Amino acid sequence: MRIVFTLFIILLLFFNKGSIDFEYSVERNTSIETLDSPPEFFVLKWEKGTKLFAQKTDLYIEVDSIGRQEVLVLVNENKTPVLYTSEIATPVCADGECKLMHIKFYWTLLGEYAGFDRNIELPLTKYDHDEFQQSDYQKLHELLLDDKSVIGRRSLDQLVDKPKMRSVNGVDAISGATVARVKEAVVSGALYSCYTAWHMVYGDIQEKLKNTTLAALNESMIMEMLYSRNQEYQIFALQKIDDSKYEEHSKQIAEILKSSTPLVRSIIVKSFIQKLKKEPELQRPFWNAFDKIDIGTRSMLLKQLSEAPSFSIEILSKKLDKMSKNQLKLFLDNLAQKESIEPEIRNILNSFVNLKNNPNTYLVTNFLEDREP
Amino acid sequence: MNTGMIKNQMKNINKFFAIAFFLMVQNSFAQDILVEAESFDNPGGWVVDPQFEQQMGSPYLLAHGIGKPVKNAITKVDFESDGEYHVWVRTKNWVPGEWDAPGRFKLKVNNQLLDKTLGLRSGWGWEYVDRISVSNKEIDLELVDLTGFDGRCDAIYFSTSDKEPPSSLTKLKAWRKKIKAEPNAPEITKSYDLVVVGGGLAGCAASIAAAEQGLKVALIHDRPFLGGNASEEIRVHTLGIYGNFERILKKIDTEHYPNGSVDAKLDQKKRDDNVKSYENIDLFLNHRAYDANAVNGVIHYVDARQTATGERIRFEAPRFVDSTGDGWIGYWAGAEFSYGRESVETYGEEWEEHGELWTPQQPDDAVMGSSVLWGSKEVENDQYFPKVPWAMPVAKDYARVAGEWQWEFSNPDYNQIDDAEEIRDHMLRAIYGSFSNAKKDTVNAKIKLEWVSSLVGKRESRRLVGDHIFTFNDAKEGREFPDGVVMETRDVDIHYQTVLEDEKNPDFISEALFYKTPQYYIPYRSLYSKNISNLFMAGRNFSCSHAGLGGPRVMRTTGQMGAAVGIAAALCAKYDVNPREIYTGYLEEYLALIEEQKFQKIPETKK
Repeated sequence: MRIVFTLFIILLLFFNKGSIDFEYSVERNTSIETLDSPPEFFVLKWEKGTKLFAQKTDLYIEVDSIGRQEVLVLVNENKTPVLYTSEIATPVCADGECKLMHIKFYWTLLGEYAGFDRNIELPLTKYDHDEFQQSDYQKLHELLLDDKSVIGRRSLDQLVDKPKMRSVNGVDAISGATVARVKEAVVSGALYSCYTAWHMVYGDIQEKLKNTTLAALNESMIMEMLYSRNQEYQIFALQKIDDSKYEEHSKQIAEILKSSTPLVRSIIVKSFIQKLKKEPELQRPFWNAFDKIDIGTRSMLLKQLSEAPSFSIEILSKKLDKMSKNQLKLFLDNLAQKESIEPEIRNILNSFVNLKNNPNTYLVTNFLEDREP
Repeated sequence: MNTGMIKNQMKNINKFFAIAFFLMVQNSFAQDILVEAESFDNPGGWVVDPQFEQQMGSPYLLAHGIGKPVKNAITKVDFESDGEYHVWVRTKNWVPGEWDAPGRFKLKVNNQLLDKTLGLRSGWGWEYVDRISVSNKEIDLELVDLTGFDGRCDAIYFSTSDKEPPSSLTKLKAWRKKIKAEPNAPEITKSYDLVVVGGGLAGCAASIAAAEQGLKVALIHDRPFLGGNASEEIRVHTLGIYGNFERILKKIDTEHYPNGSVDAKLDQKKRDDNVKSYENIDLFLNHRAYDANAVNGVIHYVDARQTATGERIRFEAPRFVDSTGDGWIGYWAGAEFSYGRESVETYGEEWEEHGELWTPQQPDDAVMGSSVLWGSKEVENDQYFPKVPWAMPVAKDYARVAGEWQWEFSNPDYNQIDDAEEIRDHMLRAIYGSFSNAKKDTVNAKIKLEWVSSLVGKRESRRLVGDHIFTFNDAKEGREFPDGVVMETRDVDIHYQTVLEDEKNPDFISEALFYKTPQYYIPYRSLYSKNISNLFMAGRNFSCSHAGLGGPRVMRTTGQMGAAVGIAAALCAKYDVNPREIYTGYLEEYLALIEEQKFQKIPETKK
């Protein structure tokens, strides 16, 4: 039975390859040389005019009953690696019935999911043989974007079994809440395809890709990452650059502080004062960013105030109305440490007390009240 | 006010709760009365909320009507003399902004509704109500809730003088003490073999284990029900294994009902009945500890206050257990503690896959958040839910009809202890707003908001430091210890706010990262303080790193800690030694005792 199935798969693969070579634009085949437009579902920014060239690697993904699927690296015109890709054919089996799923995945240089291309001739199908609609592909893309998806740490059996409600001494029961989350996350009627795709993207290959990148890492790749909009790239680059590069690119780092996610911001806010100690003037754009960032990062920034150059107080004193209750408290606590309050700042405080629509004016009133003898 | 000349008089208003405090200033004949809202004769539909006493100064009354105004709170107030009195109320608008304040209320005096709408000011402080005239030296006073959305009243102050009491917390504290004429020490002192503070799973298990070994135990808990996060008031199911303490933990744990389920009530009765069945446990429900006194690293007593009457008791004992969750006893006694995340280098707790989300390069104040659980149900008729504009900046377009563990809030702007009230309130806005969004969908026309907890269910705050700091690596490597009295197989899971990775996500929804571990052990040395010699800790405030807390923070595990500590306390009593000496000198006997208790028969006296 197994032999028959394998033969069937090989046959399918054979026809599949043939049809691609014959009917498709060559840019969508692993045998292709170049990629000059972004994958259909893609997370990174694609600069117009980008041309990527495929090169072989030693890497592959092992697929049950099918064998090795090649992984290629896509390099730019300077031969710098940009993406990894693999065109995959993998069986998806449900209740003893198996079908081949065709999909071409892309990974970032750090092994994170970067996107996919579907195979127009061989669309993905659902449990009831219906073909995936555009919205289903979109949903699959969203699922693949979630590196911590609830389907990640469960076996397929657990996901389709009825929920057990009692967990005793370590039995890993799956709760009703989990079942609901799985349902929400996957394409309706295509749990098996979604599950297979997710585990393929987030399999062992991730670490191998990252190691391949690390082995080839150079300055220009790090700079590409520092100037990209990808959160993982930004974090990676911030870890890799030394203090002098930090100074040199401080403007870009302040830009990241403004535009990136709260996670990346938190990393910057915890380190920029130390990194720019020798050139405190370079800190200005970081403090100026106060009202451009989320509330959590603002608080983290204010917690660094005691280490900051004196101009930071001045900058922040003009943004009191943007502060939450605790932020204003931190600011005032910092002020209280000072022997005297500069007249300009005292004036700001006095006029702040009279603001009509700010809920925190009472804090300044109390602050002034507590300072009275 | 001439403070040196003050003559005080305290008077009971009735035999239940209410106490009004009189204060005569002889020179000017000004008279002041402070009525604590939580001491009202009949709180009606308002609930006593003592959760934030350490932050805002007092338990208060909360109109938690989940959208329907609650019944009036009523009390009688006696006056020394008739006359005109100025009236203030200590309150706060819990969501100041460009909308009507959500928690508005009024006062009724002698059945007459006073005009002034209250609950409008930002931050806790006094709102002036009116001048009233008192005859017959008595008034009937009522709090009239106008909204059902968590109006709050801490106290009502009557004075013949027109001087407003102080609002700043430092000054208020001194003022309150003066006006209540409280002596420093509580009026009553009680002595025990062991004082356990906090009646969550850890505190309950500690009390039971110690009581079974013959100790006379005081269990102090600030709620009417035992169980903490597992109680019917918060409704988180207990997770983890039983380890060495199955017999004890089965008396107090829960079924695996969905979080927030009304089934929590069934386990509540089991737990309360079981703990109360021990004759040598004196249970002090509705008592909140507010101070612990330590001299040279030894705690002599813990002071607690009845959350409604304000009656105070001093608890003396040779040893104490801190199961408060927030590590209050240790904090007051000067125990070493930590808060927030250690850097990845501190203990080498790296998980590369999740990098900064798991352990940061630089330490910070981030901790796992607090949850407020809630639920709704379908009924026969269409159900109206009021508009909640003040909730929308938090809920945005998120629409749900129930919450689970992912409804969790933590933000660098908030400390889980200092800002617990704001955190609870943020969750209330998330809940009311998301429910209001869901109600716009006709599918939910018959859905009625059934229950929203008013208690904040915390995951992480202060962690007291012991002789061993339990880390993620202890779990990951399944490290065995000679004193590994607590064991667990549950994954280490650390939560983070999803908004960290995408600002478009609601800031009140978390995600969990699970690290699969072998069976792991927590050494006894993580269950007593490093520098306070007679202090045990059990519960989430045990000695661990942030990542170390990820696994054993669940309640069967914290229950194991409690039971382990209760048995150690008995051995301490037997040899009159401190917790540390059980490890250094009596470990074998301790481990034997743990084995022995597994099959302990319940003595006749406790049946």
